[in-house]
Amino acid sequence: MQTYEPILLKNMSRPGYVGSLEDYRGVGGYAMLEKVLKEMSPSDLIDIVKKSGLRGRGGAGFSTGMKWSFIPKDHTGPRYLCCNADESEPGTFKDRQLIERDPHQMLEGIGIACFAIGAHQAYIYIRGEFDLGAEIIQNAIREAYDAKLFGKDLFGTDFDIDVVLHRGAGAYICGEETALLESIEGKRGKPRTKPPFPAIHGLYQEPTVVNNVETLANLPYILKNGPEWYAGIGTQKSTGTRIFSVSGHVKRPGNYEVPLGITLREMIYEIAGGVREDKELKAIIPGGASAPFLKPEHLDARMDFESIAEVGSMLGSGGVTVMDVDTCMVWAAMNLMEFFHHESCGKCTPCREGSAWILQVLRRIEGGLGKPEDIDLLVSLCERIEGKTVCAFGEAEIGPILSTIKNFREEYETHIAEKRCPYRPDAALAIAH
Amino acid sequence: MNKMIKLKINDLEVEVEDGTLLIEAAKKAGVEIPHFCYHPKLKPDANCRMCIVEIEKARKLQTSCSTPVTEGMVVKTNSPEVKEAQFGVMEFLLGNHPLDCPECDQGGECQLQDFAHENSPMTSRFVEEKRVFEKEYFGPLIEKEMNRCVSCLRCVRYCDEVVGSNALGSMQRGNMHEIGAFAHQELECEYCGGCIQICPVGALTSRLSMYDYRTWQLKKTETICNYCGDGCLLTLEGVKDDITRVSSEMGAGRNGGDLCARGFFGYGMINHAERLSRPTVRTKGRDLQVTWDWAADKTASGLNEIKAKYGPQAIGGVISAHCTNEEIYLFQKLMRQTIGTSHIDSSARLGHINAVSGLVKAFGTTRMVRYEDILQADVLLVFAGELTESNPITAIKVKEAVRQNKAKLIAVDSYSAGRETYISHLPNLATHHLEIRPGTEGTAILGLLKAVAEGSHQTSLSQTARDKFKESLSSVSYDNIEAVTGISEKTFREMGTLYAGAQRGVLIFGRAITRCEEGYQNVLKLADLAIAAGQAGQPGKGLLSLTKENNEYGAVEMGGASEYLPGLQPVGAEQKGHTLVEMIDAAARGEIKALYLVGENPFRSLPQKKVEEALSNLELLICQDLFPSEVSALAHIILPAASYAEKSGHFTNLEGEVQKVRKAIEPVGNSKPDWEIFSLLERKLEAELGDPSQSQKLEAPSVDVVWREIVTTLPAAWPNLSEEKIVAKMTAYIENGLRSYVVPERAREKEEGVFDLSMSQVLFHAGRMSTYAPGLTTLLEKAVVLIHPDDAEDLEIQEGEEIELKAGGNGSGVTVPVKFSKKLSVGSLLFPEHFGLEMQALLPLTVDPITGVPYGDRGRVTLAKVSAPVS
Repeated sequence: MQTYEPILLKNMSRPGYVGSLEDYRGVGGYAMLEKVLKEMSPSDLIDIVKKSGLRGRGGAGFSTGMKWSFIPKDHTGPRYLCCNADESEPGTFKDRQLIERDPHQMLEGIGIACFAIGAHQAYIYIRGEFDLGAEIIQNAIREAYDAKLFGKDLFGTDFDIDVVLHRGAGAYICGEETALLESIEGKRGKPRTKPPFPAIHGLYQEPTVVNNVETLANLPYILKNGPEWYAGIGTQKSTGTRIFSVSGHVKRPGNYEVPLGITLREMIYEIAGGVREDKELKAIIPGGASAPFLKPEHLDARMDFESIAEVGSMLGSGGVTVMDVDTCMVWAAMNLMEFFHHESCGKCTPCREGSAWILQVLRRIEGGLGKPEDIDLLVSLCERIEGKTVCAFGEAEIGPILSTIKNFREEYETHIAEKRCPYRPDAALAIAH
Repeated sequence: MNKMIKLKINDLEVEVEDGTLLIEAAKKAGVEIPHFCYHPKLKPDANCRMCIVEIEKARKLQTSCSTPVTEGMVVKTNSPEVKEAQFGVMEFLLGNHPLDCPECDQGGECQLQDFAHENSPMTSRFVEEKRVFEKEYFGPLIEKEMNRCVSCLRCVRYCDEVVGSNALGSMQRGNMHEIGAFAHQELECEYCGGCIQICPVGALTSRLSMYDYRTWQLKKTETICNYCGDGCLLTLEGVKDDITRVSSEMGAGRNGGDLCARGFFGYGMINHAERLSRPTVRTKGRDLQVTWDWAADKTASGLNEIKAKYGPQAIGGVISAHCTNEEIYLFQKLMRQTIGTSHIDSSARLGHINAVSGLVKAFGTTRMVRYEDILQADVLLVFAGELTESNPITAIKVKEAVRQNKAKLIAVDSYSAGRETYISHLPNLATHHLEIRPGTEGTAILGLLKAVAEGSHQTSLSQTARDKFKESLSSVSYDNIEAVTGISEKTFREMGTLYAGAQRGVLIFGRAITRCEEGYQNVLKLADLAIAAGQAGQPGKGLLSLTKENNEYGAVEMGGASEYLPGLQPVGAEQKGHTLVEMIDAAARGEIKALYLVGENPFRSLPQKKVEEALSNLELLICQDLFPSEVSALAHIILPAASYAEKSGHFTNLEGEVQKVRKAIEPVGNSKPDWEIFSLLERKLEAELGDPSQSQKLEAPSVDVVWREIVTTLPAAWPNLSEEKIVAKMTAYIENGLRSYVVPERAREKEEGVFDLSMSQVLFHAGRMSTYAPGLTTLLEKAVVLIHPDDAEDLEIQEGEEIELKAGGNGSGVTVPVKFSKKLSVGSLLFPEHFGLEMQALLPLTVDPITGVPYGDRGRVTLAKVSAPVS
C-alpha cells in the first residue's frame, strides 16, 4: 500500500505532542500568521488560497478563496469570520480530533482567514456536546491571547483579531451556515432564506465568511509550502488531503488523512483493513449521513468531489460508513430518517411534514406492514421535498431514501412481500415499542 | 420613486417598481399566488413554500414572497412543476391537519380552506396517525389549537416585528414544532389580538367569541374606535344586533389594520347588560321610566323654567369628548343659541385644551404631525413615558420609526427602563432615555431649550430671535436644572444637538405635559423648543399632542370649550363662559341652577365632596350617559345615550384626521344617539318658546345634514393651515417680546417614606367605559398600585399585599393591593385611573390660571403596610 504524508494529523502523531501552544510553536506554528500580517496583502493571500485549489471541507466543497473574495471590498462596517465546529453529521468525527488534539492549528488558520477578509472578530461555533473540545479551545484561546497572538495590534501591526468561542445547544441544523449565524445571534437556529448569502448579509447582517475547522487548519501549510505544493496533492480539481472518518463494518475504523482521489477500494480494503469478519460488502455511504448510498460496484470510484458526484453520491463531510451484507437497507434508511426527523428544524413545510411522514412509511415497511404502493409513495414524497426547502437539509434527508430505493429496491419489495424484515426478525416488535 | 422593472408573469407583461417582491408583482398583474407565511406587513420568511414559482434560468423553483423582481424576468406561476410543488405543500399541510372546519371559528375565512379548494387533490395518501397536540390557552383571551397550525410564524413575526413585544416564539422541532410563550408560561403580553388577526388559519382564535358565530353570519361595519385618540379604523362584526367580534382590515385606516387590546377585546361594553336603556324622570325620589317624548318635554320645560327664573346663564352644559363632532357641535349650538348660555365645556378641558391653546398661540394650528411624519422622522423627542399604554397605535408608529427606520428616540419621562413583561415600554425602546424626577418636565424642557439656543446648528430662525432666546435663558443655569431634574448639562447639550440637528424632528407630548401642573406653560415651552431647534413650520416637523379620549381634538374644534366657538374661533373675553371647574364652583355657590352633563362625570376628575355638594345644589341635573354613574344617582332626568357602535358621525383623531363613524347596530334598549336627543330637545325648546312649526318636525334631521352645516359654516381655515401661515404665525409669536423662564427652587429632597403618586392610564383600559368590557376586565379587573420592587423590599411588602396610602400623614387613607413593577422610578407609585374614586382624594387639585385645566394626577403620599387580616 502506498504511504501518504499527512498534513493536518502530522503534529499530533508526534510522540508527546499534546497540542499546547508550546508544542505548536515548537513545530513552527503561528509563523505563517505573523508572516501574513506583516508582509502580505489580503488580496495576495486570497490569490494564494485560490491558486491552491482549497475547497471547503464542511460538505459543499466550495472554493475557499472564491468564498472569501465575495466579501465586498468597500464595506465599511464590521465583517466576521465564523469557524464552523458544529460537527454533527452521523459518521463524521474528524473535526473533533483536530480540535481536541491540535487546536492551535485551527486558530492560526482562523487568524489567517480573518486577515484575508478584513475581519477583526471571529467566532468559533462548537457543537454543544463537545464538552472537552470546548474546554480545549477555550484554553488554547487563552494561551494565544497571553502570547499576544490574538488581541490588539498583532505582531506590531495595527491589525486586531478577537476570537470568541460560542457553544451550540444541540441542534444538527446549526451546522448549516445561516442557522449557525442565527444561533450566534442568540436566536433559534433556523436556516435563513438565501439569497442574500452570508458574504453580503451574514452575522448581524454584516459580511461574513463561514469556514469549516478542517478548511481553516489547512491554511498555515498552504502558506508555508506554497499553493503549488498543495495543488500538487490530490486531483486537479480536488486538491490537497482530506480526513475521512471511516466507520461501520470495517476492521480499523478511524480518521484517515489521505490525498483526495484515492479509490473507495483503497480506503476500505487497504487503509481501514477491509470489511469486518471478511464479510461481503453491501453498501457504502461515502460522505456522511446525507450522502446517497453506493454499492460495491462503485468501489473503484475515486474519492474526490467530482468522481463521487459522477457515481451519484457526494463527498460531503467525509464520513465513510461501511455496511456489510447482513445489513438491512430499509432499516439503515429508517435509522437515518429517525435522525433527520428528529433534527428537522420545523421551519419549512416540506421538510417538517415530509420527514415525519417518510419516517412513518419506513417504519411501516420495516415493521412488515408495508404496501406495494409505499415504495412509489416514498419516492413521490422525496420528490416533493427535493429542491423545495429553505436549506440543503431537504436534499440531505432524502438522499438515503432515494439511493436505497434505487440501489436496493428489491429489499423494500421483499419486506413488503414477506411482511417482515428479512434481516431483523424482531423489527416489528421493536418498532411497535 | 424607484426605477421601474419590466417582467413577464404567465405571459403577461408587468411593470413594477424596483424592489417589489414577485408575489406583489403578480398580484398587480391579477395573478394570485397562494401563500400562507407571506404577509405584506412582515419581512419575508419563505417558510411555507406555497408561493413557489418557476423563474426562467433559475436552477430550481423559487419562493415568490422572498424574490425581488429583476428586469426581464420570465415567471410561470401555473406550470405543471409549480402546481405539483403546491400540491405537495398542501398535501403535507393537510396530512396532520384535523380538518375540523365545521367547528373552527376561522371556517369560511381560512386561507387553508381557500387554497385547498384550488390546489389540493380530493383524496389523501396520508394514512398514518395524525400527530395531536393538547389544546392550550394563551392566557384568558386567546385559544391556541396547534393541530390547525401551518407553522407560518406570522403570529410570531407580527409580535416581534410590528408590536415589538416578542411574547411568542417557536418551540420544539420538526412536525412537533409549536408556537408558544417562553417555556409554556402564561402569556403576559399586550393582548393586541394581532396574532389572532394575522393567523391565516384557526390556530389562534379569540376565546371571547368562541363558537358564537359562523363567519358568514357576521354583519360587518367599518367605524372608528372610541377609546383613545389614535383613531383606529375597526370593523365591528355582529350577529344581528350583538357585536361579537372586532377586526381591522390589513393596511386600512390610520392604524394600518393594527389594533390594541382595547380595540380588539374591548367591544363588550356595547351590548353590556348594565347599559342605561330607558329615559327616566326622577320625582320625589322615585324613578319613573318614561317615553322619549315625555322625557324631552320634561327636560325642555325644566330648562325653560330655570331660564325664565334665573336667566340663561344659570344653565351650564358639559359634553364628553367621546361624542361625535356632530353631537358636540349640536350640543354647543343648543346651549349657546337655543338656550343662550355661554357656559359650555367638554372633557377636552381635562388636558387637551392646554395643547390647543398653546399650539394655536404659537403656530395658529394644532395640525402639524401625521403618522407618516413619525415614520419618516429621524429624531423623535417624546414627553410621554406612558405612550405605549395610552396610545398604542401611535406607539406602533414610533416603534416602526425606531426599529425599522432607525430613527433616534429621545424619551423624557419619570419612568425607568426595565423589561419585565412582554408589554412595550417607551424607555426600553428609546435610544436616549432621560429619566427625570417626577413633575420636572418643565425644567427639563428648559434644559433642552438652553442647549438648543446656545448650540451652533443652522436654522431659519433670525439672529434676533436667536439672541432673544439666549438672553431670556441666560439667567437659567444648568446647575439649577440638574438639581431639579437630575439630568446633567452634558446630556442636555447632546440631546439638544441631536434634536436640533434632525432632518425631520417630531416632538410628541402626552399627559405629563397636558394634564399636569404648568401644563399650558409647558406646551408653550415645547413650542419654543421646536421653533428654536428649527423643528417646526416645515413639512414633516412639528409637535403632536396625544389625546386620551377619541374625539378631544374634535371637541375643541366643534366649540365644545368655553373659550372657543366652532372652528377654533375665540370667544371674546367678556362673553367667555365658565369652564368645567368654574361651573362646579358656580353650582356650589348657587349661581348655576341647571347642569346638563352628557357622558361627562366630574366625580372622576374633581374632588368628589365638592362635586357632590355642587350637584346636590342644583334645581335641575340632566344626565345623559351610557352607564349608571355617580351623576345619574343624583340626576333629575336620565337620558340613555347610544354608544359609538349605534350611531353615525365623525371623530377627529389626534393627528387631526376627521374620520367617519358608521352605525353598526340599532341603539341598545331604548337609547338614542346623543345627536338625536339634542335635535329632539332643540325642537321641544323652540316649540315651547312659541315656534309651533318646530313641533311639527317629528323626525330628526339626518346626521349628514348636521355635518354639511358644520363643513359649510366653519371658517375656511379649518381643518388645515398652510405652511406659510404657520411660519408667519410662528414668527410673530417669537418676535412678540421676551420670554421669561424660571427654574423652580431646588427640588424637594426625597423624604423618607414619602412617595410620588401619579394616576395614569394602563394599556388595558381607557377611562371608565372600558371597565364594562369583559375582555378587558379579564386582563385587569381591579385597582392595584404599582411600586418598584426595591421600594417594596425596603418596606418589606410582598406582591399582592395591601398597603395604606395617606396624604400628608394624616386623614383617612386608601387601602389597595400592590403590584411590583420595575418600570417605575424608585420612590414613585402609579395608580390606574380607571378604578376607585378614593385615590383622587389623596391628590391635591390645582387649576391652571389661564386654561382652567384641573390638575389632580400627581401628589405625594406616605405608605404603610396593612397587617394581613386573620383568615
